[in-house]
Amino acid sequence: MAATSKSERAYIQSALHASPPLRADGRSLQDFRNVLLETGVSPLANGSARLNIGKNPEEGGGGTEVLAATKLEVEDIETGDGVEGGRLICTVTCSPAAYPQLSMNALDDLQYDYTTVLHQILSHPSLHPKNLGIIPRRKSWLLNLDLVILSDAGNTYDAMFLAARAALWDTKVPITRAVQYQARTVGETLRAVEESMDVEGVSPSGFDTRQIPVAADFELPDYWDEGEPLEGRDLWPVCITLNVHEAVHFLDATLSEEASVPSQFLVAFSFPPSSPSRVQAIRTIGSGELQPSHIQTLVQEAEKYARQLHTALNAKLRDEDIRRHQKAKVKFANR
Amino acid sequence: MHDRALINVEVNIVPFSTGERRKRSRGDKRILELGSTIKSTFEPVVQTSLYPRSEIDIFVHVLQQDGGLLQASINASTLALISAGIPLHDFVCAVTGGVHSTAPMLDLTTLEENDIPHVTVAVMPKTKKVTLVTMETRLHVDRFGDIFKLACEAGQVIHKEMKRAVSERTQKLVTAMEMGPRVVPSADVGDRDAMIDDLNDY
Repeated sequence: MAATSKSERAYIQSALHASPPLRADGRSLQDFRNVLLETGVSPLANGSARLNIGKNPEEGGGGTEVLAATKLEVEDIETGDGVEGGRLICTVTCSPAAYPQLSMNALDDLQYDYTTVLHQILSHPSLHPKNLGIIPRRKSWLLNLDLVILSDAGNTYDAMFLAARAALWDTKVPITRAVQYQARTVGETLRAVEESMDVEGVSPSGFDTRQIPVAADFELPDYWDEGEPLEGRDLWPVCITLNVHEAVHFLDATLSEEASVPSQFLVAFSFPPSSPSRVQAIRTIGSGELQPSHIQTLVQEAEKYARQLHTALNAKLRDEDIRRHQKAKVKFANR
Repeated sequence: MHDRALINVEVNIVPFSTGERRKRSRGDKRILELGSTIKSTFEPVVQTSLYPRSEIDIFVHVLQQDGGLLQASINASTLALISAGIPLHDFVCAVTGGVHSTAPMLDLTTLEENDIPHVTVAVMPKTKKVTLVTMETRLHVDRFGDIFKLACEAGQVIHKEMKRAVSERTQKLVTAMEMGPRVVPSADVGDRDAMIDDLNDY
């Protein structure tokens, strides 16, 4: 996306094939820049995260910054767009501040591309969380995952998937309780009754199967409780972009490196806790050609990198949980 | 226009900024109106004749909102223009004011904005000139005079705070320029929780 000249591209490419391989900022081929992550940045959202790759600590600026947030909405299955078991919609917005050289139309195209990739990978049925239903056949949750790219210094796909994973990890689904309305036999008033409680005056026997209570609505037993974590949060994929030039591949490209490399290879891995890792998605970007045998090696290499990224991300997410809950409690108690 | 710069304002409201998620398209009338209001507020303030045949873009990102959107956007744009080094005639300080029966209120939240008549005033504090007054609700003319004066005074207070923030940052820049490149001790970064905003020294 950066405007690079032919000589600049040739310079970067020949440096990659040198021995040892050289990159402009002195990193090795597998080095990532500094990744900064903070969860819970948007208190109005059900889950949120802000991630920055490559922010320069000495000058305090730049880097690829992505803000992700999830919001839950109730959907009606019968009359609305709801689906049994809930659904997930992913949207990516590119800030015009991140791409000042692009016109509005080009920005829309870029947004659409990113949205399609993220939505197709994350809304796959194999990753679908099981606690997005509210009342069977009537109401379910719609999980809206919104990502905003605030600045772009290369490697946006990895950043978006990391931010999405962090926001989904942070998401809390409110606990609901099904509620049944029952008309009073004496008088015309309606009142809400819990399924387990007996109605005064009329005592339905538990063995009476002629009238099976059907939940019509739901309530929040505790308004202030944020809820339970989204189910299956260990499964969300980690994405690795391999920038490939002939036999050499490297990670975490800057803008000029991305412009100098003919093909990029995107692999998304999911690491279920007690099963072998699985490939959630593979995408090739760019105009280069890749041999099938090369692709096999790339996928194996990508699995190793993704595993390291996954371990590091999980460790950071646990740290964030501790900082926001235990440490905050201690700070509050000692104020 | 070849003798002055063009000012372009774009507002981007993220869907999760309010309690209820609302995805606003870029062509939304309210957002376009917000953008053009900010543009007409800054047009007399930015010294555009110094940059002929150029465009100055102001991108406003709303990450979270609870009332006072226009006032916050204008204040943020002022500070952004100053930190970019774009010459302005003066600061622009904005504040919302409202009247609840006879009691005046400043800086209203969303609940308050929905309930009571309110006005947004943007002033240039040194010259005491008003560059924006906007009101979309109905307010009695007697009450309007009082709340307008109060909002102008509030603009002065905001100006003091803005000046303090700007001189702090300028002081840091001057110190950095005098010191030369700084060696960051990387030993202690691992011990504490490094927050994204902490590393924003300059």
